[in-house]
Amino acid sequence: MVIDEDRCTGCEACVAACHAENNIATVGDDQAARGRAMHWIRVERYYEGDFPNIKVKYRPVPCQQCSDAPCEPVCPTYASYHNPEGLNAQIYNRCIGTRYCANACPYLVRFFNFFNPVWDKPLDLQFNPDVSVRSVGIMEKCTFCIQRIKAAEIKAQAEKRPLKDGEFNPACVQSCPAEAMVFGDLNDPESKVSRLSRSNRGSTLLSELGTHPKVTYLKRDTWHNGQNA
Amino acid sequence: MDKTPEQINQDLLRPLYHASWRFYAAAAILSALVLAAFYAWGYQIYNGIGVSGLDRPVFWGFYITNFVFWIGISHAGTLISAILRVSNATWRRPVTRCAEAITVFALSIGAMFPLVHLGRPWLFFWLIPYPSERGIWPQFRSPLLWDFFAINTYLIGSTTFLLLPSFPDFALIRDRASGWRKKVYGIVSLGWRGTPKQWHRLEMAMRIMAVAIIPVAVSVHTIVSWDFAMAPVPGWHSTIFGPYFVAGAIFSGIAALIIAMALLRKLLHLEEYLQPIHFENLGKLLLVMSLLWFYFVFAERLTTWYGNFPSEMAVFWVTQSGRYSKLFWTMVFCNFIIPAPILAIKNLRTKIGWTVVASIPIVVGMWLERFLIIVPALSHKYLPYTYGTYKPTWVEITITVGTFAGMGLLFLLFSRVFPIISIWELKLGGQKKPEAAPALASQEVAAEP
Amino acid sequence: MDRRNFLKISAVGSATVALDACGKPEHQLIRFIPEEELIPGIAQWKPGVCTQCAAGCGLQVRVMEGEAEVTRHGQVGLLSMGLAKKLEGNPAHPVNRGKLCAWGQAGLQVTYNPDRVRFPIRRTGPRGSGEYQEIGWEEAIKELASRLSSLKPGGKALPLAFLTEPLRDHRGVLIGRFLSALGAPPAVKFEFFEQTVLRRANELSFGHQQLPTFDLANANYVICFGADFLGTWNSPVAQNLGYGTMRQGRPGQRGKLVQVEARMSQTGANADEWVYAKPGTEGLLALGLAHVILKENLRPAGAAGEAGDRIDGWSRGLPDHTPEAVAKSTGAEAARIQRLAREMAEHAPAVVLIGGAPLAQTNGLSNALAVNALNALLGSVGKPGGVSFTPQPPMPDLDVPKEGASVRALCEGILAGSAPVEALLVYNANPVFATPPAWRVQEALEKVAFIASFGSFVDETSILADLILPDHSYLESWVDSIPESGTTEAVASLAPPAMNPLHHTRAMPDVLLEAAHQVGGGVGKALPWKTYQEMLQAAFESLRSHPGSVSAKTPDDFWSEVQAKGGWWSGEAAKSAAVVAAKPSAAPATVTEPQFDGAVQEYPFNFLPYASLQFGDGRHANLPWMQEMPDTISTAMWSTWVEINPQTAERMGIRQGDLLEVASQHGKLQAPALIAPGIAPDVVAMPVGQGHENYGRYASHRGANPIKILGPQSEAETGALAWASTRVKITRTGKKGKLILFGGGLREWPREYRRR
Ligand SMILES: Nc1nc2c(c(=O)[nH]1)N[C@H]1C(S)=C(S)[C@@H](COP(=O)(O)OP(=O)(O)OC[C@H]3O[C@@H](n4cnc5c(=O)[nH]c(N)nc54)[C@H](O)[C@@H]3O)O[C@H]1N2
Ligand code: SF4
Ligand code: SF4
Ligand code: SF4
Ligand code: SF4
Ligand code: SF4
Repeated sequence: MVIDEDRCTGCEACVAACHAENNIATVGDDQAARGRAMHWIRVERYYEGDFPNIKVKYRPVPCQQCSDAPCEPVCPTYASYHNPEGLNAQIYNRCIGTRYCANACPYLVRFFNFFNPVWDKPLDLQFNPDVSVRSVGIMEKCTFCIQRIKAAEIKAQAEKRPLKDGEFNPACVQSCPAEAMVFGDLNDPESKVSRLSRSNRGSTLLSELGTHPKVTYLKRDTWHNGQNA
Repeated sequence: MDKTPEQINQDLLRPLYHASWRFYAAAAILSALVLAAFYAWGYQIYNGIGVSGLDRPVFWGFYITNFVFWIGISHAGTLISAILRVSNATWRRPVTRCAEAITVFALSIGAMFPLVHLGRPWLFFWLIPYPSERGIWPQFRSPLLWDFFAINTYLIGSTTFLLLPSFPDFALIRDRASGWRKKVYGIVSLGWRGTPKQWHRLEMAMRIMAVAIIPVAVSVHTIVSWDFAMAPVPGWHSTIFGPYFVAGAIFSGIAALIIAMALLRKLLHLEEYLQPIHFENLGKLLLVMSLLWFYFVFAERLTTWYGNFPSEMAVFWVTQSGRYSKLFWTMVFCNFIIPAPILAIKNLRTKIGWTVVASIPIVVGMWLERFLIIVPALSHKYLPYTYGTYKPTWVEITITVGTFAGMGLLFLLFSRVFPIISIWELKLGGQKKPEAAPALASQEVAAEP
Repeated sequence: MDRRNFLKISAVGSATVALDACGKPEHQLIRFIPEEELIPGIAQWKPGVCTQCAAGCGLQVRVMEGEAEVTRHGQVGLLSMGLAKKLEGNPAHPVNRGKLCAWGQAGLQVTYNPDRVRFPIRRTGPRGSGEYQEIGWEEAIKELASRLSSLKPGGKALPLAFLTEPLRDHRGVLIGRFLSALGAPPAVKFEFFEQTVLRRANELSFGHQQLPTFDLANANYVICFGADFLGTWNSPVAQNLGYGTMRQGRPGQRGKLVQVEARMSQTGANADEWVYAKPGTEGLLALGLAHVILKENLRPAGAAGEAGDRIDGWSRGLPDHTPEAVAKSTGAEAARIQRLAREMAEHAPAVVLIGGAPLAQTNGLSNALAVNALNALLGSVGKPGGVSFTPQPPMPDLDVPKEGASVRALCEGILAGSAPVEALLVYNANPVFATPPAWRVQEALEKVAFIASFGSFVDETSILADLILPDHSYLESWVDSIPESGTTEAVASLAPPAMNPLHHTRAMPDVLLEAAHQVGGGVGKALPWKTYQEMLQAAFESLRSHPGSVSAKTPDDFWSEVQAKGGWWSGEAAKSAAVVAAKPSAAPATVTEPQFDGAVQEYPFNFLPYASLQFGDGRHANLPWMQEMPDTISTAMWSTWVEINPQTAERMGIRQGDLLEVASQHGKLQAPALIAPGIAPDVVAMPVGQGHENYGRYASHRGANPIKILGPQSEAETGALAWASTRVKITRTGKKGKLILFGGGLREWPREYRRR
């Protein structure tokens, strides 16, 4: 995935889209006040400078899908697990809730079900049947919408063809009104996401930690008389 | 101390036969606190771990603090008594059993906390490697699994270390008792007759155990420290953590031992057995550990500050001058500024009361240290947007208090079924005055049976 | 011990929530025959139209089989039915091109909201008590019809008022026809963030009484005065799309965004340059820019055309608006004004936007006229990279909805007895919540003998109703929408119901049609359709002869094709429809300084309510996803807050989360402080949307409503509420408020953060 900080407007559509796609619970005000709100993708907002010379930077942060994910080796039950496609998968049923992975994740994108989630009826009718519902004591996080990946792969397989670039998108990418996020196959050097990730604006978050994330950020550009930096 | 063996028997076995109302009162209070803790735990399991104050980003809080703290306390024992045994410090004799008991109890309590802290504790057995229908083994790369093995090894080892030298005393009780005691102690003394062959084997076993348990103890707390050091969390990811944790563990362990001994001395009227010299010797050890602890803290802070990594500095400042600074400086007071002078001054060190005054803050300070390692780091990880706080609830507080009560209760009950001082060992060295540490009397080994 | 607890205790670890329903005995009683055409596990995508705001984006609704507890023929039971599972943008739709905003995403929670009114109800307790009794639809409609029949025109118009949100669809058409057939005055349209001022300005400057559309994708330079066009203003999805392209969608070329405002909005947060200007002086700043351009001959003086003629002194080169003079009144530096003017003239195409607070001042219209003139001067009107007006599809009835009286006038009439209202119909408007206290809306409405609401929710206004006739949700009914802006194509969106209704509700237009037929006479004849579907079919049939996205030989083919595509749109029609209406004549406007309510000495702060990214004007406050979605500037969830400048806060001893009392001449409220680096020292701002008294479990009794301390001043020319012109004072209460933030540190570098 490539996320362009120069395009992201902080509109939070990705946040709402991810909730809708992935059956993420809302925890309510008391729990949110306790720091237990769950947003698999969040839009970080940072100020630079002081009034009136003030600037803001937005940065959407989903799971970075680290190639060397610190959350994986610490998990005693293989609930946090590197799947053969190179995704950092989270197998809910294996999780016993040690929360070690969440400590190890430098990006803090892992969210824990401190209670059994409550959906006031009939809000539960919205559940996406392709995504399991988590219960108390389980860690969850952005999966790159693995259910969409699988569905697209199965479809392509049935039609006996390779997956096309941009054939499907995770919910956040699909919704993003500013088209700040691009999703695709990094293994294919010709895919849009591969090309963008080689941009000279590109970098990875906390690259000094050696986690080798699969999300590339394109840094916010500046205006040079109408030219690209 | 010139007591006849019979006097020693009587003095040290008295608590097994006579209990004052104070015992029952204390036991009742402590039991109530322990029950309250179990209630809180049950409440937590039923309603979800969310009834605790844990949150995001502070996914670990009081429970893991308690875990590390109690595992630390457990180093009182086995390690101290093993070191003293290996180094033949004869003054150790009245101290060892007490220390070993602390180890076993503190370890049992500490080992409960990973369970208390699980989101789904009913699935704890998934940590155990067994051929399951799920077809997967636990993840051996996870420090939590190393913990599991280390703690269990230590628990088995230290329980053995506690029980081995108890057989002669159990046999003594068996021989003097009638009724149910005779039966029960008859069983647990495992047919001890005191034959030379048995003595020889016991001695051999003790020597092997004493040597073996030291690396186990060191490794346990090193591994506990790796729960932190292995995770890329600012303030955790440090090579110093292994020795730092081991030193801290021994430090808090000795302090706990001094407190426990002083209490027993008073309550069980063992003034003649536990003498100021024992406290002074332990006090010297404590002083060394206090200095060592300070050195570690200083070295850790200095390198962090000098390195000036932004993420680490966030944690540094929040403990040095920010939200957690009150706790940090309290810890420094408790662990160094109060105890070090007391223990350094001979006039004070030689008084039992003063060693206790030096030890109590250390127990508090070392608990704070564990808390300060865990919470400020977790609440200030790399991305400032994710900074957070932590506030415990009554559940964690009750469970924490309950474990201290539990420790007291276990000790109280222990003193009613075990001679709290190893009778046969005391008798062995009984004719001599205990000498000041750290004199080595290697030839004495041969003199023992 | 129930099943769930049993499972918990017996340590079955995996997700059990979904099992919840199957153990309940009542569900085994009634099981309706399932809907046909459902393949379990296979998703169908159906077209939809988003009605979460007025932008009219096109939807794709993912429908899958599920078990729902529904009401059928008065009975509750389980039905295996098609359920909307996810909303996505319709990739073909000219407004949103497959994209959706957060409100659009949260639309599912409207349909599945637990607080929906599930069947028609009649009030049993006193007004406002919330005590109701269920009644049948036959009875409910009969009552409505008989109430309407019994109204007597007391000489002039029928004493009936229809209060609705501004509708840009055939519901609006239907309501208009219905009212005129009855002989009642046109519908009263109400929303808090109304756009009267901007429409009026565009009418005066360009002959379009319409919201503008901006071609950001092709712009090189954008100056925006106060409009949060990337967040909540106008057509946010379309504008975000354009903005993204402007920034990084054109190789080698990147546009600049300059935002002028007094409180950094989400859009301001994205600006390359953020310019502070005193509230209400935006028009002056625009003229300052124009002055420089004119003086330095950067653009031909005649380029502004008639839009320039609307501004006093334009033809003389705006001699009073030198950068120095403008700097003095606006607070922006003269050198900067000069630089910005040169930059925008040199980087065509450049476009200027205005919206939000600058228009909600007493001088709002003149601010808008100044910006329009600047746009015209830049040559950006009707050009790529500039501003244009979305052509309207050639549908005959569309002009039926006329501007009605304002809520304020309606209430004044009721209270004064000059225009009594005996029956009031309310549809998706909540003026009791969203009007300043001086308007006395609640008091006026309580005087109305009969109130019927079509609302899906009981809110502050509909709780006064005697009869609630709950509408379907927009996923359960026929929806159409004619976007006013956001695209250069003429668009008529259309969607059949994506799913069957969950509850015993009925579509408002169908209820109105049936009531009309029961009233009979001319009313029935004026509305010759049995259902809204028929009405829509007839309306869309008129598009068949025009070139557009759908072409079909027969009416039936056309109708089904339009449904399948989610509407009809046409760039061709755009050309033919781009007729400029005759401009009403008006004297040139003088751009003035704004007037404020409250003396500076006593009320030292400008009070700036703003549309919340979570709740808009408050209508989305009942959606848990929106309550828990972090606000983009404050990161707050489930909260309201008062934004205050850090230096001001420090001077007043205010810390983050301290509960403040904000008082104007018209009322006071309490809310926690949020230290916000992007707000001027003499301005405090508050999001609108919280502070509901009656709006379901998620919204009620949460936070404070800033509208309730606003003064009643209005924009001088249009009479629109000048909601940004109130002054307030601030005091500490000594208590802590409930401010729930998702974000921790404000700044990226801990060092810098530490200094805070
Ligand atoms: N635990 C358990 N499992 C079993 C069995 C058992 O005894 N116990 N028995 C097994 C046997 S023998 C069988 S035959 C299967 C039966 O298993 P299923 O075929 O799943 O049968 P049901 O659950 O009875 O009904 C399936 C659905 O059909 C719907 N339905 C009812 N009438 C109609 C209709 O007219 N049209 C449509 N489209 N749907 C309708 C019902 O609402 C229900 O949702 O179960 C097998 N599985
Ligand atoms: S949806 Fe896109 S533009 Fe909006 S916050 Fe998310 S990444 Fe940024
Ligand atoms: S919380 Fe779950 S996923 Fe995370 S380390 Fe523990 S068992 Fe693994
Ligand atoms: S971002 Fe965190 S959760 Fe995601 S793979 Fe990396 S370490 Fe794991
Ligand atoms: S990729 Fe999917 S799971 Fe991850 S943040 Fe986006 S929507 Fe959520
Ligand atoms: S802008 Fe958002 S709320 Fe408005 S119509 Fe479009 S998607 Fe719906």
